[in-house]
Amino acid sequence: MSRTVRHIKDILWVVALFGLVAAVFRMWFGLGATTNLSDGMPWGLWKVFNMIAGVALSTSGFTIGLLVYVLKLERFRPYVKPAILIAFLGYGCSCTALLFDIGLPHRFWHPILMWNEHSFLFEVFWCVLLYFNVTAIELAPALLERFRTEKVIKWLHRIAFGVVVTGISLSSLHHSSLGSLFLVTPTRLHPLWYSSMLPVLFILSAIGAGLMTVILVRIVYARLYDPNPVFGANEFSIDGQSCVIENPLHGVQPDKVTGPEMTNLSILARIAATVLGIYLLAKLIDLSAAGGWQHLLNGTWESWLLIGELAMTAIIPVLLVAIPWSQRSPYGLAVAAASAIGGLVLNRLNVGIFGFIWDAHEVYFPSLAEWAVGLGVIAAAGLIFIYLSENFSIFSKDCTSQRETDPDIKPSFDTLAQVWITAWSDPLPRVSLIAVAVIPLAWILMYPPFVSGQATDKVAPSSGVDALRTVLLIDGDSHGFACEFPHVDHQNRMGREASCVSCHHASLPNDHSTPCSRCHAHMLEPTDIFDHSGHFGFAASKESITGFRPENRSCVVCHEAGQPKEASRAKSCMDCHETDIWVHEVPAPGLNPALACGFHQAMHGRCIECHVHEAKNSGREDLGECSTCHKSRRVGGAAHIAAR
Amino acid sequence: MKAILVDVTRCTGCEKCVAACLDSKDIDPAQAANDRVASRDGLSARRLMAVEPIGSERFARKACMHCNDASCVSACLVGGLTKSPEGPVVYDSQKCIGCRYCMLACPFHVPRYEWEKNTPLVRKCDMCIDRLGQNLEPACVAACPNGALMSGERWSLIAEANLRIAKKPDVYIDHVWGETEFGGTSVIYVSDIDLEELGWGKTQSNSIPSLTNPLIEKTPFIGGGVAASLLAVNWVIKRRMKLAKEQTKSNTNSPPNSTGEEI
Repeated sequence: MSRTVRHIKDILWVVALFGLVAAVFRMWFGLGATTNLSDGMPWGLWKVFNMIAGVALSTSGFTIGLLVYVLKLERFRPYVKPAILIAFLGYGCSCTALLFDIGLPHRFWHPILMWNEHSFLFEVFWCVLLYFNVTAIELAPALLERFRTEKVIKWLHRIAFGVVVTGISLSSLHHSSLGSLFLVTPTRLHPLWYSSMLPVLFILSAIGAGLMTVILVRIVYARLYDPNPVFGANEFSIDGQSCVIENPLHGVQPDKVTGPEMTNLSILARIAATVLGIYLLAKLIDLSAAGGWQHLLNGTWESWLLIGELAMTAIIPVLLVAIPWSQRSPYGLAVAAASAIGGLVLNRLNVGIFGFIWDAHEVYFPSLAEWAVGLGVIAAAGLIFIYLSENFSIFSKDCTSQRETDPDIKPSFDTLAQVWITAWSDPLPRVSLIAVAVIPLAWILMYPPFVSGQATDKVAPSSGVDALRTVLLIDGDSHGFACEFPHVDHQNRMGREASCVSCHHASLPNDHSTPCSRCHAHMLEPTDIFDHSGHFGFAASKESITGFRPENRSCVVCHEAGQPKEASRAKSCMDCHETDIWVHEVPAPGLNPALACGFHQAMHGRCIECHVHEAKNSGREDLGECSTCHKSRRVGGAAHIAAR
Repeated sequence: MKAILVDVTRCTGCEKCVAACLDSKDIDPAQAANDRVASRDGLSARRLMAVEPIGSERFARKACMHCNDASCVSACLVGGLTKSPEGPVVYDSQKCIGCRYCMLACPFHVPRYEWEKNTPLVRKCDMCIDRLGQNLEPACVAACPNGALMSGERWSLIAEANLRIAKKPDVYIDHVWGETEFGGTSVIYVSDIDLEELGWGKTQSNSIPSLTNPLIEKTPFIGGGVAASLLAVNWVIKRRMKLAKEQTKSNTNSPPNSTGEEI
């Protein structure tokens, strides 16, 4: 086992364990606490990425089956087992992710008994369910070979053709139906993606990208385990000892540049690229037919997503496969395949998530727990894939069991360092060590009460003013500068709870409460209309209250003694009242402000109860009716209250 | 079939209907008040109806439209949503698996989810079907003090709507929203301003199931057709291989050693 493989396994274990912790949290705390899904964006990463894109990339099972069993292209026979394994694991991990996604996972079996044959989701459910069993049957011979079950295998081989045909027919149904799922959203999905051709586009892109997945998996497998058939002899000297020097299957003279299998892979790539080319053509024709060209070129972020998606899914792979140099190079094919896979995933995300944002008016980004589960099930499937491909005859006829560990690291318990090395080189202790490190980390990072405690940062409107919210910010004209208003102090000074009505009753339309200037004209109006008696009377009447100075009654407080009493010679109001009036940019730093209680809330929270009560007591039934106050039907039409 | 007529010109936005709705569904008004702010359009799993301001001039009730040929009904894979003969589209919480396809399928963004619960359900207005059974008006209609809401048979409400438009042609826009939109809804609107904000902006006259039903009815034929054509292609290829084999045999009189390369 090479070191690279071991590192890949480590990474997969870390991701899978993260996913395990996140899955436990999702089951324990529910969807709302662990995901960023909302009423506006009800479908997220698990459905669109894991289910819709994951299933689309698992088309390999049926396409290779079609080539080998139906079209009798025997040259692709070696890819049947990997393709079926990819399909089996792809469907398996998609369905696992879906189990976490649905709100009531314990009812996942409901569609088996409760039918709605008008629903495309129902069709997808049944096709995926049946097809998952088909892949299991197709995969069974490869796994049963190790056990003494020749009769079963013989029987399975006999029904193979029928099973493959059933599988292809089921696949052609549900891969298109995954596109048909979005036919019900003509007004919600962005016109760049919504089209009555969605089922056709989905199945074309899925077939192309599914074949590309087989190519990529084959090349990566060869790079890691057995480079000769693909990369040619002595292309690399792989680190580690166990790599096979010469594969007996391909004992023929290896090509100087690449391995003998490259011929088959490039034919497969040409088929895939042709399908993807047809997909591109179909998409462009469909776009022109719907008049979507102006959407495509108008430079919105949606249009860039579509251009990127088409470039990745079709243009780059087709070009790379068309150029003879890159077509013959394993690296060229790997890049083409990776691009097609990435493009397909982006396409599904576009149709399932990004295409809905313009309509939902909210942005969805998956939470850490969603990423963890979504990638974790894929990592787990990857681990199973590696295990099966190492221990069963998936890629070649002989069982290329490479279970022996590095011979230079022998189990030994002499010193602490060697104990460590032993543990680190043996798979089980190694995974245990990773688990010990990762699970607590994942727990800390994703524990929902902790995470949600950080996230609830919404400004709660004050429903009634409480003692804690001592300061309100008043920004009456919404010009971005607010005045600090000591609401509780003001309330206490004016006569506690009974005083609410003095500001919140005689209100004006389109203003959320009586403006301060209604009472405080002397403080806030320009000095040439200064309310002298108001200032005088106010100062006199509040003598008993600390902070109010009776000496303010005197003229000389503002006007210099012996000089003409003119506005121009008077003190500025702000000279005295600088500390009374705070003006801040919103929000003022270091404050604990609350938004002022709105007029509507103030009226409905405080007036209605009293009105309804009075209506009963006084016999004036109309007092309790909305139309008593809301004479006008305009917003803010309650102006009529003040007038009455 | 029962329906509700909303007269936008008569709504003052007093939200008595919302209060009545919360009351009839035994929902805590304090929690619902939070949702009014948190949710973009005032609807949530607790607030099954909202009174939406349209522009700065008008208000209108927003809740489930109870479409005659509802998208959610066709979308639900377990048949948990059904159009009842009385008019409302009703939800069966015993069937729901929580896939939320109905939420995606609804063109009015009506179904809401109990995200914060561990066993969440979809919540939406059911037009007080229990009250309809007792020959009562829906709670919101009964609570409206200004006569902005009216319930009755759908055909009679459409007649009433057209009558109101005919009486005051200078006030109303000559259009009954919901008469034909999305195949017709059981909540219909007359208004003096455009109702784009309520989700009536992007409408189409045919129902959403009419887009999917023709396709899904072909499903068995597509599947069977694919299987049959595969068998046919396979038969042709096998036959050609057999013929080619026989030909080589007769030509060279020696058995061929490879079979797969002939195609």
